[in-house]
Amino acid sequence: MAQSNFDRRRINGPDESFPPLFEADEEDPVHNLPRTRRGRSADDIRPIFLKAGLISQANGSAYIETERTKIACAVYGPRQSKTTVYSENGRLNVEVKFAPFSCTRRRAPIRDAEDRSVAVQIHQALWPSVRLELLPKSTLDIFITIIENDGIEGCIASGSVAASAALADAGIEMLGLVVSCAASTIGKEIWLDPTEEEARMASGSLILSGMPALGTITNVWQSGRLTPEETIQCMEACQGRCLDIHTVVAQALLDNAQVT
Amino acid sequence: MASTSISKAERSYIQTSLQGSPPLRADGRSLLDFRTVLLETGVAPLANGSAKLNIGKSPHEGGGGTEVLAAVKLEVEDVEHGEGVDGGRIVCSVLCSPSAYPHLSSNALDELQYDLTTLLHQTLAHPSLHPPNLGILPHKKAWLLSLDAAVLTDAGNVVDALFMAARAALWDTKVPRTRAVQYRARRAAPATGHEGADMDVDPDQDQEARSGFDTRDMVRTAADFELPDYWDEGEVLGGRRNWPVAVTLNIIPPLHFLDATPPEEASTSLRLILAFSFPSNSPSSLQAMRLLGPAELALPQIKSLLADGERHAQELFAALEAKLQDEDVRRNVKARTRFAVR
Repeated sequence: MAQSNFDRRRINGPDESFPPLFEADEEDPVHNLPRTRRGRSADDIRPIFLKAGLISQANGSAYIETERTKIACAVYGPRQSKTTVYSENGRLNVEVKFAPFSCTRRRAPIRDAEDRSVAVQIHQALWPSVRLELLPKSTLDIFITIIENDGIEGCIASGSVAASAALADAGIEMLGLVVSCAASTIGKEIWLDPTEEEARMASGSLILSGMPALGTITNVWQSGRLTPEETIQCMEACQGRCLDIHTVVAQALLDNAQVT
Repeated sequence: MASTSISKAERSYIQTSLQGSPPLRADGRSLLDFRTVLLETGVAPLANGSAKLNIGKSPHEGGGGTEVLAAVKLEVEDVEHGEGVDGGRIVCSVLCSPSAYPHLSSNALDELQYDLTTLLHQTLAHPSLHPPNLGILPHKKAWLLSLDAAVLTDAGNVVDALFMAARAALWDTKVPRTRAVQYRARRAAPATGHEGADMDVDPDQDQEARSGFDTRDMVRTAADFELPDYWDEGEVLGGRRNWPVAVTLNIIPPLHFLDATPPEEASTSLRLILAFSFPSNSPSSLQAMRLLGPAELALPQIKSLLADGERHAQELFAALEAKLQDEDVRRNVKARTRFAVR
């Protein structure tokens, strides 16, 4: 008796399965709100590993890893637009895919709304930086695969950094490298680069994307309750941290360029 | 959000007029003027709360404008075996009618729906806005609040309309009153009978009533609930003053303007959406911020836009509050006095 979500293209596992419950999971994580951050200070971000040029088939690619967020990004383009509509500026198409094993609960392999919401934010982060007016009738396809997911804020931030590095690796002309940083308010403190649990405990989160080379901001995403003063403090903290991330990205691209 | 396509000449014409002194708009409004907003609550009788909002309806022909219909439906969910969450949960969705966007393909329409749904859901379903009275029985049953908004026509500024309609629908929502029911064995007969009772457990009876099904804890906690017969439809949804209003600032540096028509939306290269919440005894808070468009901003610009946006949202909030109070009066007080007169 096939259920309605019988996937003919894949070998389906059992209809119902439950993950094992461990004793450590029984405690409700929302209630033990650690007053001080575990393992790092409030403005420390997790160390970033970024390597460009790992996917040889693509025009440009990058792989970013920050503790438990692992994202691979490939750029194909500029290639001819499939549509017949003439567009004077190039089109930037960002597609995000969460691997089924990337989250604690298995995600179905079909594209859903969460994929699209991450893609829209990464698209907005990159859009002002790419010189699309030099690429009429062309499309830039950016494919982002999230191999391990430690919170949506981390995915959007690391994804846009990887995408910008991949665009640079592909030789696309840009106004500057885009880097992103996420922040969460826990009580009175602002914690940068929150993990999934920290973001869930937070009263509000903010992701800032910008081009530190020009000192401008390309995207701000905020959710949850933040007073306008807290918002500005978060943005300033993120912008300061973006300068550091920018040096990491630039160094990774230089290393890659020197090797090839 | 879906822009109409306009020529470069028209775009330049609109931008130059807006940047002129004094700034000119096609319908003669100032930069910060909204079009006429029409709001009616209680339009969907089967829903627990509903509202219909129209921005910019033309008074002469009686049509046009951005029209959004929002309705709230409450369903009971099982916390133990189903998807329910203790304390209730909120799910928002936006439906874009194809007649509102005739030039969009069905894929593009789906994507627009996704985007608006994500924006509305991420903002309204956040734990910081969660109403306190969505639970029924702790750890057993809770309400699922489904807020569905339908965009019937789009003449620009659909995000502001969606948030206003959602706020009005949530304001109008009445949560049915429930009463916990528990089963208690009869004292005399060995077989178990049951009688409905309130949560208060009578201590005298408790010690003597024992049944084969009686484990100490189960007697104290209610097993089910019933809907008592009441003259109204329920109690209002808690925390209804906290629901946010959104303003979309269309930015043509160095100025910004509100409530854009579709050609104006197509002429702006940057839009900042801000949703503010103004609770009665706390400072105002930002509940959502989104940036749309291929232009970049500097941090000082964002700071001033935030301050301006808060002011605009405050005025919008005050106007919406006044209208919602009016609607309350119209539907309840006036209806009652009319009934009493009869």
